[in-house]
Amino acid sequence: MQPLTVPPAPRGRGALGARVGGLVPGARPPLALVAIGLAVAALSVLPLVYLVIRAAGTEADALTFVLRPRTTAVLGSTVALGLVVGAGTIGLGVPIAWLTTRTDLPARRLWTVLTVVPLAIPSYVLGFAFVAAFGPRGALQGLLQPLGVERLPEIYGLPGAALVLILASYPYVVLAVRAGMLREDRSVEEAARTLGDGRRTVFRRVTLPLLAPAIAAGTLLAVLYALSDFGAVSLLQFDSFSRAIYLQYRATFDRSLAALLALILVAMTLAVTSGEARLRRRARDFAGRPARRPVEPVALGRWRWPAVAFVAAVVAIALVVPAATIAFWLLRALAQGETFRVGMAPILASLGTGVAAAGLAALLALPVGLLLARHPTRLARAVERASYASFALPGIVVALALVFLATTVLPVLYQTLVLLIAAYAIRFLAEATGPVRATLARSGSRLEEAGRTLGDGPVRAFTGVTLPLVRPAILAGAALVFLSVVKELPMALILGPIGFETLATEIWSTTSEGFYARAAGPAAVLLLLSAGTIAVLLRDDAR
Amino acid sequence: MSGSYRVPRDTAAPALPALRIAGLRRTYGSVVAVAGVDLEVRHGEMLTVLGPSGCGKTTVLRLVAGLEDPDAGTIEIGGRRVAGAGGSVPPERRRVGMVFQDHALFPHLTVADNVAYGIRRDPDRSLRVAELLELVNLPDAGDRMPHELSGGMQQRVAIARALAPRPDIVLLDEPFSNLDAALRTQLRGDLREILRAAGASGILVTHDQDEALTLGDRMAVMVRGRIEQCAPPEIVYGEPATPFVATFVGIGNLVHADCRHGTGMTRLGPVRLVGAGGRVEGGALAVIRPEHVELEEAADGPAEAGAWRIVRRRFTGSEILLEVEAPDGVRLWCEAGPAVRRLRTGDAVRLRLRDVETVAFAPARTHQPSGVEPARPEAEALVER
Repeated sequence: MQPLTVPPAPRGRGALGARVGGLVPGARPPLALVAIGLAVAALSVLPLVYLVIRAAGTEADALTFVLRPRTTAVLGSTVALGLVVGAGTIGLGVPIAWLTTRTDLPARRLWTVLTVVPLAIPSYVLGFAFVAAFGPRGALQGLLQPLGVERLPEIYGLPGAALVLILASYPYVVLAVRAGMLREDRSVEEAARTLGDGRRTVFRRVTLPLLAPAIAAGTLLAVLYALSDFGAVSLLQFDSFSRAIYLQYRATFDRSLAALLALILVAMTLAVTSGEARLRRRARDFAGRPARRPVEPVALGRWRWPAVAFVAAVVAIALVVPAATIAFWLLRALAQGETFRVGMAPILASLGTGVAAAGLAALLALPVGLLLARHPTRLARAVERASYASFALPGIVVALALVFLATTVLPVLYQTLVLLIAAYAIRFLAEATGPVRATLARSGSRLEEAGRTLGDGPVRAFTGVTLPLVRPAILAGAALVFLSVVKELPMALILGPIGFETLATEIWSTTSEGFYARAAGPAAVLLLLSAGTIAVLLRDDAR
Repeated sequence: MSGSYRVPRDTAAPALPALRIAGLRRTYGSVVAVAGVDLEVRHGEMLTVLGPSGCGKTTVLRLVAGLEDPDAGTIEIGGRRVAGAGGSVPPERRRVGMVFQDHALFPHLTVADNVAYGIRRDPDRSLRVAELLELVNLPDAGDRMPHELSGGMQQRVAIARALAPRPDIVLLDEPFSNLDAALRTQLRGDLREILRAAGASGILVTHDQDEALTLGDRMAVMVRGRIEQCAPPEIVYGEPATPFVATFVGIGNLVHADCRHGTGMTRLGPVRLVGAGGRVEGGALAVIRPEHVELEEAADGPAEAGAWRIVRRRFTGSEILLEVEAPDGVRLWCEAGPAVRRLRTGDAVRLRLRDVETVAFAPARTHQPSGVEPARPEAEALVER
């Protein structure tokens, strides 16, 4: 589960160099900010560094391990998963983006929202829904049993894992392509028409090449999601790297081998991330001015209803199937008189860790945001990169690295909530600093300076002017962190104290064991919780 | 798309206009963008269309290019019907070259590939591209990407791209509006030469009257979806057809005149009336341009009978414009000659009309279209009460 709800890291001088305030460039940041920034950067990269050390210290012959058939098989599976998910998300995302931006599709706005909602559903909830619906003892098979259907096509393995991950991540492609299409200068297509090309040729020679970077960038995000995902691949028993790392970690004493596997996964995600960044820059070069005159949408004509059917089918599979499955198993549990209740413990655990981590991240967000927005030095850039690096790493890798670190360096912290909460706060810090930094960069330091000229001391100017200004941004960032923490699975699973169950781990473990009825309750609560948080975020947004 | 089948321009039947538009209408919902336009562009001619923003001029271009379809009316390009009764020819088969307001270069193609876009089937396309880049004075820019070019360079590439397939007519939609003032003046001169050299016929749409006046062999003034006047720039300026044209193109003071037998008597003296104005009889409004008025310092100061007072002074770099006010509150814009350049606001002046040929409008036609902004702040009309 790669939480990618935050805009990706701004890179290079363009982002940090854009300064609004009246500060002298290169003004030296206060020592306290530097200290906090350095601490955050260190904590962000420390796990990764330690992972490298640990992998290097493996007793087995590393090369032999990496080259043995089991490892290469996992590598092959992961690549295959990436390719299938990439192709699948393009196949769903590009047509949906085109239909919802450029055509007269009926109820376009509704579909625009509905087709992006799956992004909010954790992959293990989708995984649970598909296993519990289409698995060997799932709802569909149960319903078909009276008709003599004994077996359904296999859902475990690549087909199921790929299907779930495509449904969970195709919105990345939709969002990227939509943005590309909305940003495109339509007169470029018109120019091509006047230069002698018909509609189709223009699509091939102009529209598609212009959208290519956006399509590719969105697809790479989806592939990154698939590579980092732990929940869906483990529930659908597909041996991609995440699952292999987890099994290796659980099964053997020599955890260095798990570290080695994790490093290979890191290398793969780094390659994907850098490719995505390059494509995004290219997409920016291609961006035009937004259309000045209203553009008439393409008339779908007789393709109108097939198009609606296509979009509706995607929404049905990605949203209706999970909702129906959860409802089915809840009702079934009730009907069979099973003691049906959602234990309060996992709810409280999820809420507690979420609130604590969000609070900690919010505390760090202000100083780090100030450092990034007001003192764009090389140090600030380094802090920002480190923060985004830990955000982009697969959760399973971060969890594993922290286990190594804690067991050897700080055994006191091993399997404590303190470690888990701190790890969450650091890992999702980018989500909290993003909004704060953006607000500070927009307002610049002029308002504070105005306060100073009006007779406020520096402290009063800050608390009286800047703080109220960034408060909504801090809250929004904290809400994003809360959402990520509540949905997070592998870190809770590996770093949590013994007997510690969150909603996420509860859904995962009960589904793994086939107790679908017991997974349905927590899944429903989790979905309601994230829906509520998103609603709060959107309401703040609208204000 | 080889240019070989084209009839050479000099032997083409001169009677056939490059473009003929008749009764063109286009509405968007309840908004009438083009309300019955007739226009003709002759071979090798550049027609400029001047109008305030939202007057429908860009829509006319888009209708000619085929990017939109008219509700009524016909369009003929080189004698070939492309829109009107009997359907519409799609843009790719109209043989028009369009230069867009924001240049609309293909961002994923090099400059050379941009220019070659419309002539990819031409075996000599690389020669043609080189020739065009030479023409627009960018001979070495072929390998660069559009986003690496300045606005002015993008503009030239857009022109070269539009000219490459040797279109029957070139359509330019506010081609200078995204450029800064200095570049604008320079490119304006270049454009004229480029289009002359290419022998292209064209329409250039703009809201900048200097552009319309200097670039057009003829110019059309458009407001609220209609053409108010279409004539050579000198005629449009010297003999505006409507009060709107008089005040929109250049600065026009509308001064009350009693007209008889081709002479209008104004408070400043007589004017000779030309054109349709020559037939106006009785009370009317005569157009007095700033350069029609001669100023002189009033010897006795403000106390002098009939003296006007300077209320505003505007230095434009090449000239000084003065707004003067009579004791009864009537105001006029005048050009300050060398003798009165040092005068300031508040000083008193005497006004005298030069020997002037101008036009006058009978009262029924003096209504200005409402909601129309003057092209320049100083182009405020003065209507004598």
